[in-house]
This record gives sequence, C-alpha cells and structure tokens, in this order.
Amino acid sequence: MKHWKKLLIVCAAIAGLGQLGAAYAGNDGAMASSADRSLKGDQVCTECHDENDNKAVLAVYKGKHGVKADGRTPGCQTCHGASEAHVKNGPKKGEVGGKRGAVDVVFGAKSTLSTREQSEVCAGCHKGDKRTHWTASQHDSGDVSCVSCHTNHTHQDKVLKKATQPQVCYTCHKEQRAEGRKMSHHPVAEGKIACSDCHNPHGSAGPKLLKKNTLNETCFTCHAEKRGPFLWEHQAATEDCSNCHTPHGSNISPLLKSRAPFLCTECHDGPHNSKVPVAANAGGTQAGLTAVPSENYTGRGCMNCHSVIHGSNHPAGALLHR
Amino acid sequence: MKTRNEKLQRSALSLAVHGALAAMFAMPLMVMAADDEVSVLTRPTSSVEVGVAGVSEKSAKFGEYNGLNDSGAYGIANFNIGGGSAYDAYDGGNGTLRWEMNGRDLGTTSREFGASVSSQGSWDVRIGYDELRHNVSDTYQTPLQGAMGGNNFTLPVTFGTFNAQTNPSARTLDAQYQLGAFHTEEVGSTRKNTAFGAGFHFSRQLSIRFDYNHLDQSGAKLQAFGNQGGAAYATIASGIGRAEAVSVLMAPTNYKTDTFSLAVNWVGDKGYLTAGYFGSIFRDGYDSLSWQNAMLQTTGFTGCAPGGACTYQTNVASTAPDNQFHQLNLSGGYAFSPSTKLVGGFSYGRNTQNDSYASAVMQVGGLPQTSLDGSVVTTHANLKLTNRTTKDLSLSAGIKYNERDNQTTSNTYNYVEIAGGGYSGISTPYSNRKAQLELAGDYRIGKKQSLRLAYEHEYIKRWCNNVVGGAECVASPSSDEDKLGLTYRLKAGDNVKLNVGYAYAKRNAEFNHLYKANTGNYAVAATINGGDYAGYLAYPYASRTQNIVKAGLNWQATERLDFGVSGRYSFDEYEATLGVQDGSSASFNLDATYTYSENASVSAYVSWQNSERDLSAGAAGGVPAPSVTVAPTNVFSNQLKQDGSSIGLNTKHAFLGGKLELLGDLSYSLDKSHYSTQVPYLATCGATGTLTCGDTPDIKAELVAFKLTGSYRIDKHAKVALVYLYQNLTSSDYYYNGYQYGYTPNRVMPTNEQAPNYEVSFLGASYVYSFQ
Repeated sequence: MKHWKKLLIVCAAIAGLGQLGAAYAGNDGAMASSADRSLKGDQVCTECHDENDNKAVLAVYKGKHGVKADGRTPGCQTCHGASEAHVKNGPKKGEVGGKRGAVDVVFGAKSTLSTREQSEVCAGCHKGDKRTHWTASQHDSGDVSCVSCHTNHTHQDKVLKKATQPQVCYTCHKEQRAEGRKMSHHPVAEGKIACSDCHNPHGSAGPKLLKKNTLNETCFTCHAEKRGPFLWEHQAATEDCSNCHTPHGSNISPLLKSRAPFLCTECHDGPHNSKVPVAANAGGTQAGLTAVPSENYTGRGCMNCHSVIHGSNHPAGALLHR
Repeated sequence: MKTRNEKLQRSALSLAVHGALAAMFAMPLMVMAADDEVSVLTRPTSSVEVGVAGVSEKSAKFGEYNGLNDSGAYGIANFNIGGGSAYDAYDGGNGTLRWEMNGRDLGTTSREFGASVSSQGSWDVRIGYDELRHNVSDTYQTPLQGAMGGNNFTLPVTFGTFNAQTNPSARTLDAQYQLGAFHTEEVGSTRKNTAFGAGFHFSRQLSIRFDYNHLDQSGAKLQAFGNQGGAAYATIASGIGRAEAVSVLMAPTNYKTDTFSLAVNWVGDKGYLTAGYFGSIFRDGYDSLSWQNAMLQTTGFTGCAPGGACTYQTNVASTAPDNQFHQLNLSGGYAFSPSTKLVGGFSYGRNTQNDSYASAVMQVGGLPQTSLDGSVVTTHANLKLTNRTTKDLSLSAGIKYNERDNQTTSNTYNYVEIAGGGYSGISTPYSNRKAQLELAGDYRIGKKQSLRLAYEHEYIKRWCNNVVGGAECVASPSSDEDKLGLTYRLKAGDNVKLNVGYAYAKRNAEFNHLYKANTGNYAVAATINGGDYAGYLAYPYASRTQNIVKAGLNWQATERLDFGVSGRYSFDEYEATLGVQDGSSASFNLDATYTYSENASVSAYVSWQNSERDLSAGAAGGVPAPSVTVAPTNVFSNQLKQDGSSIGLNTKHAFLGGKLELLGDLSYSLDKSHYSTQVPYLATCGATGTLTCGDTPDIKAELVAFKLTGSYRIDKHAKVALVYLYQNLTSSDYYYNGYQYGYTPNRVMPTNEQAPNYEVSFLGASYVYSFQ
C-alpha cells in the first residue's frame, strides 16, 4: 500500500507542476492551424524545391502527406512552419552566394530543435492508437524523434516495409544486428519477420517496447501452441519465455540462452541427474568418453525425456515426459 | 560560281532554320523531360521482375528460411504494382484512391503476396498471403515408418529389438534389417499466413479497424521422447521397453491459429481512446503422438530377432492442446494542458483449454477428469502521468499491473512414469502478479546536455490456487526489486553525440524452502525445496544485484565520413549458496561509413559480444536428497563462456552515369559457446571413462557470406540484374555426437543428424521492367 500512496503524492505533485507550466505550449499543432495546406499553398515551397532540387522534396506527393483530397493532409508549412525568414529573405536577383534565412522547423540531424520538439510536430496529428504510450517512452526519452526512423518525402518509407525495416532499427541496435547473424535466429534477415512484429517502437505498456502487455503474450501471438494452460505447467515457461530463450539470436538452437543439461541446472538441482557434474562427457564417446555416455546429458540432455518442456496436457505428464 | 558570302548567308539561314526546328521540337522534349522527372517524383513506379536462379548445393541450413534448400534452378518473380487517383495530387487531382499489389520471392517456398486498396481518410482493405518453410534438418534418419506431419510412427515388423551394449564402439545394429531400415527425412514445417484487414473512418475523430489472420502450420519439428519401460509398467500393459530409452521423433506441427482484432479509435483535441477486442483460437489437428519402441530392457525381457515378425511396445504422448484467448482492451490518453498528459490502459483476458486428454495407457487408476477445463484470467492495467513544466524538464510517473490468475482446478493424477515407478502427481496451476512503479525525470542542461534519472520498483507475487493438500507450489512466493538508472547525453559541437548510462538494480526475493514442485515426487513426504538441496535457488527467483554500464558515441568526422562506437557491460550477482552465482555480459560495436560520392559509399562494422555465467551445484547424493545441506567440499562449479564476433563490409557504387549500380556485402561471423566444469572433490572426474570435469568441446559456428548485386539500366523502363551470393558455414557441436550410429548412449535410437556445414553459391539473373 505504501507504494500506492507514494505514487499518489508524486502524481499530485506532477499535476500541480503541470498547471504552473500551462503557459508552455510546445509545438502542438500551433503553427499547423494557420498554414495553407492546399497545393497552391505548397507552391511557396515547390516553386524552388522542384524536380531539380537536390532533395526529392516533390516525392512527398507520392505519400500520404501529399494527398490533398484528404482533409487531414498537411501542407509544407504545416510541418515546417511558415518559415518567413526563408521564404521572404532569399538572395536578391543576380546576387551570387547569397543565403536564404532559415526554415522554422527542420527535421533531422541539422535541426535546431530538440528531438522531442521535432516529434511534437508529428504528434500534433499522429496521436492515440499505437502512439498512445509515446510520451516518456524509451525512444522518446532516448533522443529518438519520428524522423530518426521515418522518411516522409518518399513513396515507400523503409521502416514501414518488412524486408527493409531491420536496416533502420539496426542503425542504433547493433547488438541485435550481431545476434541476428547467429546460428539460431528468427527469420528477420530473411525478411519474413520484422522488428515491429513483436515491438511497438512508439511506446507500449509492455516491457522492452513489446506490442503486448507481457513478453509471453507477445510470443504466444505466433507460438500459440505453447500458451496452454496445461495440466502440468513449467513455472519458468508460464512466467517468462526469456528465462530460457533469447529472442534475437543464439549460438545454441532453438534460441536458447544455454544448452541442456547446463541450462536446466540453472534452476533445478534436485531431480536425479541434475546433481551430477557434467563436462566433456556431454559430448559422449566422440568427445573422448570411453564409457557408455548417458542420455541425460548428451544431445538434448534433460529434454531427451522431459520432452514437452513448455507444458504437458497428458495425465501422465507431471514430469513433462508426455 | 557562288561567292563565299553567299555560302555564309546560306549557312546562316540554314543555321537559323535548324535552330528554329530544334527549338520547335526540343522545347516540348525538354518539357516532356521535365514532366518525366516530375512524374518520377510524384507518381508511383511499378515494377515486375522475372528471372532464373541456381543454387549449387542442397542444404537445409542455408535454406532454413529462404526457400533455397534444394540445389538446382529456381524462378525469380517479384512485382510491385500500384496506382490510383491519390497519385494525381501534384497535378491538382482530388482523388484519394490508392491501390497496390505486390509479390515477393514467388519462385520459392518463402513467397508472399499482398494487395491493398484504400481511400485515404475514408477506408482501406488489404489482403495478404505469406508462406514460410522452416527447414529443420536434412540429415535426420529414423527406422520409424510414417510420413512427416503424421502422428503415428511404427517400426518395420522385421526390424527386431535390440539391447544396449556396454561398449559403445561394439554397439552395432543389425546391418540388414536394422541399419537398412534407416532412411533420411527432410524435416521442416511450413507456415502459411493468410491475412485480411479493413478500416473505416466514420469521421476525423472516429474510426474502426478489423484485422484477421489465419496461420496454418504443417510438417514437423524434431523432438525427443523417453519410452515407457520397467516392471511396474508391465503390470499395466505388455511393456517390454527399455525404461527411458530415447526416440527422436518428427513431432507433427499440425496447427491452425486464427487471430482477430477489432479496435475502435476516437481522437479528440485533448484526448484519445481505443477500445478493442483481441482473440486467438489455436487448434491442433492431433490429440496425441504415438510411436513404437524397439529398445529392450537389458535383462528380464525376451526380444525379437531382426528379420522375425515382431511386435513392439507403443508409446503415446500428448500434443499441444487446443486453446483460446480472448481479450478486451481499453487504452487512451488525455492532455490536461499542453504540458501535462495522462495515458492509461486496461486489459482483461481469458485463456481457456479443454482438450481431451491423450491416451491414459500409463494410468494406474482412473482419471479425476477427462479434460482439464483450464482457465486463466489475465488482467493488465497501466497509468502514466507526464509533465513538461518547462522546455527543459520532463517528469513522468507510472504504474503497471499484470496478473495471470490460473483458476484451473488442482487434482491428483496417479500413473507409472517412464522410468517404471509409480508416481503421484498433483497439478499446480501457477499464478503470478507483477506491479511496477516507474518514476523518471529528464533535464536538459542548455542545448547540448541532458540528464535522465529513472527509478522503478517491481513487486512480484506467485501462488497456486487451491493445490490439493495445500502445499506451497513456488520456491519464491514474492520478490521486490528496486532499479535506478542514470543517463547523460552530450552534443559536443554539431558533429559529436555522446551518451553514457548506468543502471543499478537490487532484487530481494522471499524464499520458502518448504515448497513442493512437479519436479519432486509428492508421494515422497519428506520432499522440500522442490527436491533441490537446501540452499539451492533457481536463478529467476534468487535475490540479485545487477549493475549495467553502457556508452555510445557518434562522430560525424566530415560531411562524408561518420563513426559510431557503442559498448555495454552488465554484471549480475545472485545471493545463493547453490545455483547461479553470477553472470556478466559485454559488447562492443564499431561502425564507420564513408560516402565518397552522391551514389557511392562504403561502410564497415565490427561487433563483439561476450557473456559468462558461473554456477555452483551440490554433488550427487542419495535420491531424493531434500533437506540436505551440501558441505562446501562437495560443491562443483560450472562456467559458461560465450563469445561472438562479426565484421562486415558493404559498398555501393554507381558507374556509367548511374546506369550500372553495384552493391557488395561481405561479412564474417564467429560464435563460440563453451562449458567448463570443476569438480574439486572428485579425483577421478577427469578419467576418460568419466569426464565429469574439464571442458566441453566448443559449440562453434563460423559463417562467411559474400553478396554482389549488379544492375544495368538498359533504358528508362528496363534493367537487368545479376546477383551472386556465396555462403560458407562451418559448425561443430557436440550435441550431435550422442545421436550417431555406434556412439549413442545405450538408451538412444540413433538419428545420425549432423551439425550443419555448407558451402553454397547462388546465382540469379533477372529482367526488371518498370513503368508508371
């Protein structure tokens, strides 16, 4: 109970601070309301940023942000601001080397805005649903903005395509890139599963930005055969698949953190052979053992007999044999 | 004779005419060229690719997920076609319709197809089909008869039975009837996903979305099962099987999963709300898996000689039970002010399972029920309040609550287990609850620096509802964990970004040594600590201290050259006399990219990972050996060390004014896992007949991959592409040793499975036609 009380106090304090800070309006669509969203309005920009521009600015019309018939569609200045200094303070006719004033809202590495301020421009429209938990999420807090992953002025955003999405995520998540190359891995590199099949990068109520509320719930989306409930449950499996598995890649199949019987010995010391020290004899006679090796530690080790390790529905399966 | 002036006049006239003609025709051409450029930018480009490819060698591992497991020819077929009035936007069109069809890898078993049509802002419909063949093994051998994907495997009547021999090298199977019966199976499972989705916007504020997915799995995966045996079993049925003799089977994956989700979204000026339903219905085409066993008890039973008309013991195991999960979800948020927001969610789910039990052949008495009637209620709630009082300070406070309440009835099941002894099992339906409190603050120190401080408290409770006899079912009924994290970020100039983080966590776990678990025999009254030695703790439930340090640096050295370096180190320490003592992990990554022209770049990376885990366990004593405290002199240790490193080099270059484009990708990775066991109390542990101390052979995988892709643009619509891929995998894994002919443990039917090793070349040539 004491934790709930603490939480209430903290919430009240934050809410109070919130009233003090009401004057700070951020960028929540403030500039959006006055912008001309029409094609004609865009011409302020596209007159110069035409097909000859180094950046493929016009490609925005291939994407959803270019469809003017959709009343929600932004104009250039909805996102980039009125940018009067840029529009009106251009080089004079015949002036060589003259520079334009700055655009109000620049996205990306060259922006003068913080990543959070950049994201707020997008969040002016893109709120709710999958983005419900964006604010103060791992990415929001980790200096990641929408444009860190998304490209708007293009037909097909790489991060929205299953085959190319991992390239975008691996820009930061190098460990996962390395793990994806290991012997046992989900078919991410093969383009059959995307990071977003399990994760919601926009924030979630689950751990590690998982789409579902818990890790197991996420795994069961595809591996429903392991959901049970079973007559005989394996506690470690019902609580957390990652007690035994590592999701991004492993040298030990199938995506295991360790090899049986050593893996099992991390939790079990009692049942018969888990008290027996095992070393090179796990490799059997081909690893130098001259005696008959035991099926308790060679091959699948414990799982040579404890076969249905995720749970059993057999009335004779208390020990997960059946 | 014409004068020089006349010539000049004529030349000038000619030039003028040519100029006028040129102007007349070239201007529209220039306009057309400009139109083309605009069109390329503003309209979708569709493409169709057809071609052929060849694979040099058959390999299940190379083709594990890409559908290229067989040697020989494959078709290349990809397409992406799209259009619709929405693409007229730049030309002033007011359409919103967009449609697209795409297909990828249609010539392989990794094919996928999709189509969608939408009216932006109004509705959308999509369908999809995705196929994936997961190739598991092409070296598995078995004497059992029965097709992969089936659930009944029998032995040839002439196979005969066999007894184990004491000397592995002498343990041979009969050449004619037994070795001759072994046949190779290509084991794998195929997943076929069919998806349908639709959305409708009632207004700018209100929309609805429905998604349905049908997953159809067929084939099998390899799974080992112990065979029934022993005298006690013989009292129930005519068992002659060697107790716990192991058969590796093609366990069928005859699964169908239907997934539904329906969500209604409302978005207002200050708030948003999503109410939805998620349903998942899983069905297994089989209720059981049965197989015959040819391995005999060493004494006491008469076998059947190979070549005779033999009958065998039949075993039955359960397969995955049909189950359902239905969940109602509600989530939303409200902005009290532009700086203060509250978001939260609630989920209520029900997971049920009532599949009939498989054959009760091992049962001594009757069953308390013929199916489980299992029911698990999952509850989730979360609430988070965030505030940005100033531009520089962000605060957040949140709670999360997750509960898995297993309301299934606990019962006693008496049966004869596979070792032949009587067993009285009491089912323990596990429940757990996790509550979390999260507090965080981000503070920007000027424009260049920021600091984040986060605190989290996590409380976990575990229990079982109404266990028969009232026994405690879990080792750790509850735990509390405090986590503290600190992150510092710095932008040094325009070109350098640095982040450093430290996290500390302390978990205090309650422990009940009187607990009983499935792993202990309830018939043995003295069993405590789940049958483990006193002082032994399973690592997920032990008190733990965790320290994590991580850092990253990005440096844009020049406009063309950038570097990224990151590293992470963690150390976990467990408070356990026996069990996992500590674990650590470290990683280092270095990336560099040099963009030497607009269409050309080269990038390289190096990644290194290491992890270690130390474990202590008690010496084998009497069984059961509950309550016993192991003397420190009788403790052995086991260490796991894993190392992984990978390097890669990618390059992209365009030639001939962009007509020819080459992409190169070279990578190398090496992974090793290694166990070391020290048994200080046993002088003979290193003897060749024992080998219970010392090191296991490395589990090692070394992969070299090279891919070169070239495409040559013939004209604005057509290009030809050539792809060459070379992969060489060298792996060794002692896992397979025990399954080889003549080397198996004395109770294992060999499978002759081999560690994957391959050297495969893939060459593909295709023609790509693009159009708008």
